[in-house]
Amino acid sequence: MNEEIRKTYDERLARYQAAIALEIPDRIPISSGSNYFAEIYAGNNKQQFLYNSNQWLESDRKFINDFPEVDNLRSGRFWGPLIDATGWNLYKLPGRELSPHVQFQFVEGERMKSDEYDLLINNPDEFIIERVLPRAFNEMKERGSVRAYMAFLKGGIGAAMQGALMRQRGMTLQTELGMPLPMAGYMLAPFDNLADGLRGLNGIMVDIFKQPDKVMEACDAIIPHIVNTALALADPLRRYPIFMPLHRGNVPFLSPKQFETFYWPSFKKAMNMLIDAGYTIRAYLEGDWGPNWHHFREMPKGKIICDIDVQGDIFKAKEDLKGYQCIAGGMPESTLILGTPDQVRERTKLLCETVGQDGGYIINGGCSIPYDTKPENYRAMIDAVLEYGRYKDSIDFEPQINPNPPEGWKPLPKGMVTPWQVKRDELGEIKGDENLIRIGWETLEHMAFNWLWAWIW
Amino acid sequence: MNKLSELAKYLVDLKDQEFIELVKKRLDDGDDPMEMIQECNTGMVEVGMRFERGEYYISELIMSSEILKKAMVYLEPLMGDLKKGPSKGTVVIGTVKDDIHDIGKNIAATLIKGSGYEVVDLGVDVPAETFVEAVKKTRAKVLGLSALLNLTFPSMKAVVDALKEAGIRDQVTVIIGGAPCNEEVRQSVGADHFALDATKGVKICQQVYGK
Repeated sequence: MNEEIRKTYDERLARYQAAIALEIPDRIPISSGSNYFAEIYAGNNKQQFLYNSNQWLESDRKFINDFPEVDNLRSGRFWGPLIDATGWNLYKLPGRELSPHVQFQFVEGERMKSDEYDLLINNPDEFIIERVLPRAFNEMKERGSVRAYMAFLKGGIGAAMQGALMRQRGMTLQTELGMPLPMAGYMLAPFDNLADGLRGLNGIMVDIFKQPDKVMEACDAIIPHIVNTALALADPLRRYPIFMPLHRGNVPFLSPKQFETFYWPSFKKAMNMLIDAGYTIRAYLEGDWGPNWHHFREMPKGKIICDIDVQGDIFKAKEDLKGYQCIAGGMPESTLILGTPDQVRERTKLLCETVGQDGGYIINGGCSIPYDTKPENYRAMIDAVLEYGRYKDSIDFEPQINPNPPEGWKPLPKGMVTPWQVKRDELGEIKGDENLIRIGWETLEHMAFNWLWAWIW
Repeated sequence: MNKLSELAKYLVDLKDQEFIELVKKRLDDGDDPMEMIQECNTGMVEVGMRFERGEYYISELIMSSEILKKAMVYLEPLMGDLKKGPSKGTVVIGTVKDDIHDIGKNIAATLIKGSGYEVVDLGVDVPAETFVEAVKKTRAKVLGLSALLNLTFPSMKAVVDALKEAGIRDQVTVIIGGAPCNEEVRQSVGADHFALDATKGVKICQQVYGK
């Protein structure tokens, strides 16, 4: 990596990390985890972008060239061919069921029955394989069929291909374009795993009245599994936060009391496990979290970016979370789409002069930059940040790059469906180096485990 | 709050077992199913009011409609040709083209229905011309356009433009509703009102049709 690019990379990363850590960087960082606008800015429609992975880097290059002031670029997303390989039915896709110009959209469904809580709680991995995937994969409709075997095979190969593509993209962004990622790896709140991919909205809402204890037990039961997967997919150098999109923890879905009972306890536990492993978190507080976000004050300070959605009040978020966690957001999506550069500029100035004060703030739309953002509006936002969002002349925050976990951290046992001991017993006497065999077994077993848990949201 | 019947009270308090037991018992006793449905409606209106007052959330809305669904299994087959009660007016509602989200739309439809209006629910991903046809056919004075995605602003505008083209824009009050809606969006698409929650939508229906 040439020196200039390295310097740019370090500056961008330090600016981002300083804001997360509640330190004061040189200026307000410009960062969106979901920069939909960047996806299509280079001229792709939404189907082309989802299906043609060759265009990912091209789009990124063009965007970074035209907006070099951004501090990191969008996270990775779905890859159409992988979704088709398994027939994963949680989303409708542009160009498939939807017009090529429309974004992917979630499909509500009941992929776990109301009387299956004990099965999930007693053996979550088996439950995902036996019950959930056959309902979530259209290609697995006929159990044991050639087509169902092929779906698993293609799903595994596809996931490995996508993983390699994403790693390659991350490296190219870093070494050629000096661009860090906004996040790497992901995890849902346990309650959202149940509400999104398993029980569906109607199911979970009835369950909290009819079988509240089972809901709480299930949330706890899946924590080690989802944490395992999140850590496996996270940045090994701990530079980037782990992404947590939060869907049903807002008002009016749950009352604050229901939130405290069903949503927060397992969510807090799971987040703490990531933080203990040395990671930060980027949480999308989708919808209005105003009545609930004070809970983030219970978490270690400066470890979580709270992305505030358009329904939330960014000014109140600052008031409530100042000195506890970094907040992001504040630019209304409607202004980016419908407004004028002058309106964007005014809004940015206001944000810089209020919520931007004293650090701990990242400018963004409500959890994302919309597809239909006018380029001149995005440019106006950047220019206004450079003008009004400056704290000091240079960054004195060192970029944090930590390949090692914090001292004293006890790693979770690696998730596996068939642990080595079982396999070992089946093999009987091993004539050579057992370790060589074990390592290979465990590596692939753990990758397959993480693959299983990637399909329930 | 109007005095609720025992049946309505069970519904409002989400006591599903007591509620279903009472439905069965009253049917055995030969009670009029239409009367019971009206009591349930009163209950649903109260649920809606509690939602409006911030005492109930979507969790309670969903739970109450799931309970009601169970009762309808017993009540509906007995309704026969009984005419529905008088309607205060017709409201056409749907999620606009390119958006398939229906949680917000369904809540709005339930609360508007519960408040005594006839609701024509066109579903999701509804093209502009379907909205126009429905408004023409039903002579509805209120049209609700629902959306979750911010890429639907052109879809909403297309509906308003199509109403103009059909010469019926002045006959109908257009409300846009859902997370991305605000005054800026309302102006841009040419709607009459925006509503961030279903109860605001009910209020606008009441303004248009008179209580």
